[in-house]
Amino acid sequence: MKYLNPILTVPTTDPDDARRRRLLNILLLGTLVAAMLGLVSIVINSILNLDISQSDTQVLLGGITVFTLGIFGIYQVNRRLSGRWAALLFLLLLTIIFVFTDSTEELVNGRSLFLFTIPIAIASLILVPQASFLFAAISSAIIAWLATSIGLSVNVFVISGFFVLALVSWLSARSLEAALKELRAINTDLDRVVAERTQALAESLDRERIEAGRNRAILNSIADGVIVFDRNWNAILANPAVRGILDFPLELIIDKNFSELIEHPKLAPKSRGLLYAMMEHDTQPVGFRIEWGGKTLSVSAAQVYSRNNNIGTVTVFRDFTHEAEVEKLKSTFVGIVSHELRTPLNAILGYAEMFKESVYGPMNEKQINMSDRIMKNTQRLLGLINDLLDQAQMEAGKLTIQMAPVKPAELLENLHSVMDKTASDKGLRLTSEIDDNLPESFNGDAARLQQILVNLVNNSIKFTDHGSVRVRLFYPHQNKWGIEVADTGHGIPESEIPYIFDTFRQVEGTATRVHGGFGLGLSIVKQLVSLMNGEIKAQSKLEEGTAFIITLPLVVVEAANTNWRKP
Amino acid sequence: MSELALIIEDDEDLANIFAEALRGIGYEVELVADGKIAQERLKNGAAPFLVLLDMHLPHVSGADLLTNIIKKDERLSKTMVIITTADARMGDTYGDQVDFVLIKPISFVQLRDLTNRLKPRIQ
Repeated sequence: MKYLNPILTVPTTDPDDARRRRLLNILLLGTLVAAMLGLVSIVINSILNLDISQSDTQVLLGGITVFTLGIFGIYQVNRRLSGRWAALLFLLLLTIIFVFTDSTEELVNGRSLFLFTIPIAIASLILVPQASFLFAAISSAIIAWLATSIGLSVNVFVISGFFVLALVSWLSARSLEAALKELRAINTDLDRVVAERTQALAESLDRERIEAGRNRAILNSIADGVIVFDRNWNAILANPAVRGILDFPLELIIDKNFSELIEHPKLAPKSRGLLYAMMEHDTQPVGFRIEWGGKTLSVSAAQVYSRNNNIGTVTVFRDFTHEAEVEKLKSTFVGIVSHELRTPLNAILGYAEMFKESVYGPMNEKQINMSDRIMKNTQRLLGLINDLLDQAQMEAGKLTIQMAPVKPAELLENLHSVMDKTASDKGLRLTSEIDDNLPESFNGDAARLQQILVNLVNNSIKFTDHGSVRVRLFYPHQNKWGIEVADTGHGIPESEIPYIFDTFRQVEGTATRVHGGFGLGLSIVKQLVSLMNGEIKAQSKLEEGTAFIITLPLVVVEAANTNWRKP
Repeated sequence: MSELALIIEDDEDLANIFAEALRGIGYEVELVADGKIAQERLKNGAAPFLVLLDMHLPHVSGADLLTNIIKKDERLSKTMVIITTADARMGDTYGDQVDFVLIKPISFVQLRDLTNRLKPRIQ
């Protein structure tokens, strides 16, 4: 078939035409073989001197020669010009040849009558389906003519048979073509679907490649070191910044387990525990600092989930060395300032007291009054410095709450001893009360609670010209206790209430000018309350007064633990 | 005979004020401004009745003096110790080892009244 195919196939775009022309070529080849066999039999006959006359042999040879040439001609027409014309010529040639293959009687009414059915049957296949009828008509005409020429009557049954055969051929060829057409339509459809899918796949691959490229570019361009781990903490991806931050080749990270990095000598031993904890910690994002080869790094990690399954972790390493140094400097600065500012102020205070106490001889009233003023102003300055230092400590996260047993009655007692004079100097009454059912002792940071009370009362006195400042320690329910500081002062405009706890803020306008201070008092109170896990809110009416209400968690002390430090 | 008070304080003004407060109520006062000198003085000199000890000192810290000398020397077992510091947390840490903690700023009157109460009553 390998050698036959190029001979049989006719290159054409119409698949039906190609099929017909190929079929015709097969038939041409078949008939050529038959002709050759005829030739061989004639040669054998003449050699064996059988009962074929010389003239008959010559006629047969001539017929075969003409037939062979005809076949070649038709083959050429089929290949080069038109399949339909070639098929028509072939069928006509076949029909004409059949006329000469037997005696007229046999052709009209005998054994060779079937020969005419061949072109009728194949016409529908190699020409067009309707062509069967054409050749049924041609064959009928030839038989009728032959019958008439020898004086026989036309055989109507034979002619009817030809047309029935033509009908059958036509029907089968037509349904064959319809089936092929349908098949081709299905094929075309299938081809289209395949093409579409291929295109879509290519596009999605392209998109994915672009997306991956973009992600890669983002990852490569960020300054933080990013390492992506799979669920078993093997590093699957690391960006170039990792190399700079860890001073470590990427090859020693990729495809390695995180524990190898944790055990590296560059990592400070105290940081190991944190990283191991991060590996075991697989529910929430975490953030902390580690020491790595003289650097401080901040580490944050986020788990990646796919359908609720942890599929890995993205860790981000940031060089925090500079920030850590600044923080340390700030903390050192706060320490120095704390000492260096307070010491000379302490000296001023001490000397002023010595004047007042007439240590170096009797003082007159004016001199004592002056010493008093020096002391008051120094105290004020000390208060401001303390506020600034507290604020700085809170910003640095250094201020901590230290819990110890606290007696609310003592808090108020101390408050009165510190603030009574300030209130009475301004002609205000400072009153206080404790709810009867509030426990006598509970856990708290006495110094910080005192600071809260003093700051709030100071603030109220500052903004109240007439009336009173009232302090109440109350007991809203079992797990809470509260502080309320209410005054009869100027009040705060409603629009300002959300901002009164901001750092360095006083209510717009006159307040900042008339009243001293940095505006840190309430901010510190708010931050202290937050550190104690409590809440603070302000209620105010202009020209009627303001109330600050704090609620704090109540932790009652076991009686046995209540021990008080001296004095 | 008046009681001996040893004031260990590196700030001259504060030392002066503390000294005046104590002298005013009859203490005999000795001043030391350096940790190292204070260390020698505590080891070799007469045991004072009272030590007013600043926690921030040059060379040897007040905390060192307290834990390594005062608390270990049998001769100083009866000496009263008051520490002075600006750091409230420091006071919390050493409060249990001393008689009193004074947080700076320290009032002249406050110190005078406190040390006056500590003086042994004349029989």
